[in-house]
Amino acid sequence: MIQKLGIPVSVTLHFDHKTRQVIPTEVLFEGHLHQIVKVGFHHTYRVGRTLFHVFSVVSETLFFKLVLNTDTLSWNLEEIADDETD
Amino acid sequence: MKDFVFNHNNPSVLHLDINSCFATIEQQANPFLRGKPIVVAAYDSPSGCIVAPSVEAKKLGMKVGMRVKEARLIDPKVIVVTPDPPKYRAVHLRLRKILEDYAPSVVPKSIDEFVLDLKGTPLFERLGVLAIAKEIKNRINTEVGEWIRVSVGIAPNRYLAKTAAGMQKPDGLVVIDHENVDEKYQQLALRDLCGIKTNNIVRLNSVGIFTVADFFQANLETLKAAFQSVVGYYWYMRLKGYEVDDVVFARRSYSNSFSPPQALVNLEEIAPILQKLTEKMSFRMRRGGYVGRGVHVSVLYRDYSFWHQGQTQTEVLFDGRDIYKVAYKLLSKSVFRKPVHTLAVSAFGLEKKGKLQLSLVADVPKKDRLVKAVDTINETWGDFVVSPLRMLSAKSLIADRIAFGGIKELEEFILQDTGVTPVSHNV
Repeated sequence: MIQKLGIPVSVTLHFDHKTRQVIPTEVLFEGHLHQIVKVGFHHTYRVGRTLFHVFSVVSETLFFKLVLNTDTLSWNLEEIADDETD
Repeated sequence: MKDFVFNHNNPSVLHLDINSCFATIEQQANPFLRGKPIVVAAYDSPSGCIVAPSVEAKKLGMKVGMRVKEARLIDPKVIVVTPDPPKYRAVHLRLRKILEDYAPSVVPKSIDEFVLDLKGTPLFERLGVLAIAKEIKNRINTEVGEWIRVSVGIAPNRYLAKTAAGMQKPDGLVVIDHENVDEKYQQLALRDLCGIKTNNIVRLNSVGIFTVADFFQANLETLKAAFQSVVGYYWYMRLKGYEVDDVVFARRSYSNSFSPPQALVNLEEIAPILQKLTEKMSFRMRRGGYVGRGVHVSVLYRDYSFWHQGQTQTEVLFDGRDIYKVAYKLLSKSVFRKPVHTLAVSAFGLEKKGKLQLSLVADVPKKDRLVKAVDTINETWGDFVVSPLRMLSAKSLIADRIAFGGIKELEEFILQDTGVTPVSHNV
């Protein structure tokens, strides 16, 4: 099931200066720490001049759509989904 | 005229098409959706219109234009996703960047289709088109996403390259050239050709053409007789592999449309939506550097009756408020008071904005400055931060969408260099 949320969330981000890759590695959601096992897609968009980075990632059991506001450096969890169909 | 044979040049035109574009991108973003029937629909409601079924959903019989409830009749477990245009534009731009490494001119035909002519490029001479196509497919898998599958068609002209791309889906790679053209045409029915539907089939049947092979073999006089116009000549050259479709049409209008989810009847209910459409459309027009000379409003009602009216103005239009006044006047002329299915407003008679003509009645330079100031605020802080009060009730309506087929809106999205670019990959 896909659920739209739009709530603040804690995220650990890893930056490798050699490969210049940026990867969210952990999401703290509802008291549980979820290890990210795969980044499905990363893209950006702007609202006005504010740049947002969107990471579509999955843990073993959940999909997270994480959005980083580069003005405030804060993370929002926009969407969550499990491995089940609707 | 002596009959032409099929173009013997090495095929150099490459047509690339993302399979089930929006659905495939959603499956790329969320690996849990891969291999499952999913549909991208305008709204996640029973009457939401499907804009892209996944490859798996297509195999079950789900099609573009179907309602979500119809898809659920086929498979109650189908997953419905709503569109995410920034994601699709990101894929489009990444694809474009890859393709630009191979040809100086990459022509996007829509959000999920590109054409490039490799003729005369060093790589084409050295590697050949087939090797380039394979390399592009590999790069898309590694640089855009491993689930993004594209079909590639290669031929001596754009039309046949597109036709070839459609012959093997998903993940196809088909070449049409002088050596295999007969065999490839045998695999196609007239209806498979883009641009040939019922009326044209009737025309072709009337001159004894029933198959694509017949169409290919027909001489110019026969095709002129079938189409009764220069169109016959275009088909004659197209099917023989010569280029007749290398035409870029200039922008002639800007328009925005919206299908309200609820049944709106009264002008007062429709006005906020008309205002928002007008603001969106006029902002895009100004950003493109244009002013308009006329306004057109059209309404498709829920009983599928249609009403439209346009008006040309003496003064140029650039301010959304002025365009709204004209549009509202036009809409109020409609005698119908029926639930609206789709409302559209457009500005036509476009001119590149130069020096504005002064008016005895209105202070045009002052208005221009005001509009520029409002545009700057909205560009800085986000769309509709400053907007007419009338559209307040429509603020959350009219989501960002990607136009079907057209690529004109893509002019409005510029490649933005954001410095360090995170790369999506397996952890």
